[in-house]
Amino acid sequence: MSRIGRRAFLTRSAAVLGAGAGAAAGVELNRTDQASAASADVDVPSPAAQWQMSQAELTESEPFAGVHQAGILTPRQAQATFAALDCFAPNRDILAETLQALSQRAQELAVGGPIPLLEADAPPADSGILGPDNAPDSLTVTIGLGASLFDGRYGLAARRPRELVQMPTFAIDDLDPAQSHGDVLLQICANQRDTVVHTLRELLRTVRGSLQLRWEVDGFQSARRGPTAHNNARNLFAFRDGTSNPLTTDPAEMRRLIWAGSGEPAWAVGGTYQVVRVIRQHVEFWDRVALTEQQNMIGRVRATGAPLGGSSEFEDPRYDLDPQGKRIPLDAHIRLANPRTTATADQRILRRGYNYSRGFDAAGQLDEGLIFVAFNQSPERQFVAVQTRLLAEPMIDYITPVGGGYFFAPPGAVGPDWVGSSLFA
Amino acid sequence: MFTSFRWLRPALALACAALAAFVVVTALGLGASGSRPATSRVPLAAYVEFAPHVASQLVILGYEGGKRGASLAPPPGDKPLPISDFDRPVAEYLAYAATQLRLMAGPLRSLEASLSKNDRNQAKRAWEAAYARYLHLGAVYLEGPIAVLNQRIDGSPGGLPGGTASPRFTGLHRIEYGLWTGAPPDSLLGWARQLSANVEELRALLPDVSISPLDYATRAHEILEDAVRDLLSGADVPWSQQGVLGTAAGLAATEEVVGTLRPLIDMSIVDTELAHLSGVMEGLAAAHGGTLPSNTELSQKQSEALDAAVGEALEALSQVPGSLETTKLPVTPTISARDVVIDP
Repeated sequence: MSRIGRRAFLTRSAAVLGAGAGAAAGVELNRTDQASAASADVDVPSPAAQWQMSQAELTESEPFAGVHQAGILTPRQAQATFAALDCFAPNRDILAETLQALSQRAQELAVGGPIPLLEADAPPADSGILGPDNAPDSLTVTIGLGASLFDGRYGLAARRPRELVQMPTFAIDDLDPAQSHGDVLLQICANQRDTVVHTLRELLRTVRGSLQLRWEVDGFQSARRGPTAHNNARNLFAFRDGTSNPLTTDPAEMRRLIWAGSGEPAWAVGGTYQVVRVIRQHVEFWDRVALTEQQNMIGRVRATGAPLGGSSEFEDPRYDLDPQGKRIPLDAHIRLANPRTTATADQRILRRGYNYSRGFDAAGQLDEGLIFVAFNQSPERQFVAVQTRLLAEPMIDYITPVGGGYFFAPPGAVGPDWVGSSLFA
Repeated sequence: MFTSFRWLRPALALACAALAAFVVVTALGLGASGSRPATSRVPLAAYVEFAPHVASQLVILGYEGGKRGASLAPPPGDKPLPISDFDRPVAEYLAYAATQLRLMAGPLRSLEASLSKNDRNQAKRAWEAAYARYLHLGAVYLEGPIAVLNQRIDGSPGGLPGGTASPRFTGLHRIEYGLWTGAPPDSLLGWARQLSANVEELRALLPDVSISPLDYATRAHEILEDAVRDLLSGADVPWSQQGVLGTAAGLAATEEVVGTLRPLIDMSIVDTELAHLSGVMEGLAAAHGGTLPSNTELSQKQSEALDAAVGEALEALSQVPGSLETTKLPVTPTISARDVVIDP
């Protein structure tokens, strides 16, 4: 008998797929429309219209199935949780069942639909915190595998992706083992916090006996405050983050930079390496630094996000015209991260980070920072090269990487596959 | 000249910036009244009254950035200090630093003696005395051999592969780790001897050290920043939790550096804040039988009071480096319109 609570898992899998979440909404709308008709301000949507828009947003969904996993090229949703799990499945078959169960449950939640009714004297199939009808809310669940899963326990050592190792310790790190590494990583993203909270709770329930939490961190995107729809949101140092990412709409660029291919075991092709770094930002200290110094450390204008000397977030910093660093210091963050040379073109990474804020430390200082997330084809060629250059940036005084890990996000599930199925084929 | 404003909060500064065009006109006519706003509902202009420094910046700068070529011009009347003004403060500080390293010899001898006698408690007291003395140096973020020695003397295991098991984990924190986690004291003797030797090496290098005005001015601010980030948080002293002791040593170092700079700028507000912090430290010692408590011995209220005093001192100190510039703030060159390339 498997240890993953197969009966419970199957009953929770019985959700009717594909049903929309808005059936009851129309009635409510008609009622509130009249109340808001008196609103004089035509530019501000009425409460009813706003409610309708938020309902529409909740019903949007991201496909779980695909050649690649969702949550990688997907535009960043507003909310996220990163949960690293350690595996206690007693053998390889149960590990496979566990991963299959994760995929199936994640897919159901990404589609949404009514919660199946069980007998009233049994615990309900779903926690129900989103109501009787789970709205998908653009949910993505991205499953990653840590190097430790490929140790001796499951006979997977020979199938380890070529560059999947335990995340190395860099000189600026102060890694807490209790916040680092892990056998499996769940990256859960959606637009509403409760969707993410619900998803984590349901997924953990599905695989309770096999996967246990090792560390967890919640992230959020800052609101996109413009001035245009394209401008990136800010991190907690107040600078825009995500500018000059590789183009996710360009499949050729993604093949060059993101998807694992040649040299990797066949099962891993189409997957990608996911680097997660929980980086504490010492925000009180940062706020006591002069604006010019802040801007010189980053290499951008804080207000606009433009490279120093420029006016648009999206313009080339033109290092070619500034070889001595008179405009953008040679050790500025953006310059070290991406020097924009031919030699460094294949080092670019796809960043998909989130801010975090979780209380305060023993010195009364806010525990805030960045959940740095990078997808790349080769950590050695890409992330490590970039990170090694960044060890020389002056910003290191204001940050402390405290956790995270290296994970491999297997290719996506198509048809009867589940995420990781090719590993066991 | 250096100015700092105790009641100005960063959030208010931001609010001020957002309303700069309106507020500045209002604020400039106001004189300083010296009383504290009673509640957070005081009109914006009343805050600016307490923040003439910020108000004057607003007049100069307007909005932060936003226009092509918008660069932060130096305030008119901003006179850089001559570099030579720093010769004497730096020389005074280096003489002070040499004294601190000399004074470390006593506790280090006592540490070795108590370790070889396997007297854990005495060794802990000697370790605390040596550690506090070392932190009297203040921040050591110089490059080259000094930085290497500092890593050996005061380095943390966090950035080392293998952490506490790394052979590169040496010095004060290696001994702290052993003493507070039950290692036989005499097994730490080798580390203590190496520590004494490294301190001597550092002392021998001191006469050759040069510190730039920028580094020195920054030091006045950042010694206590490091104390909050690394010591009061417990991050650098996870075993002994002697962050309050370390912060007191950092305060002494800050007072020394500030003292050497007093001839250059008005330090009255900094002095007030440091004296307040010093008083809080004395109160903590008095409440704990005459000895500074460890981080974990602080009550919640004591901890909050200490954080408040350090935080307020840092807000004042953060104004120091900008007041000690030896060059005019350079104007950032602009990318000319014909060179602008928008990324795909």
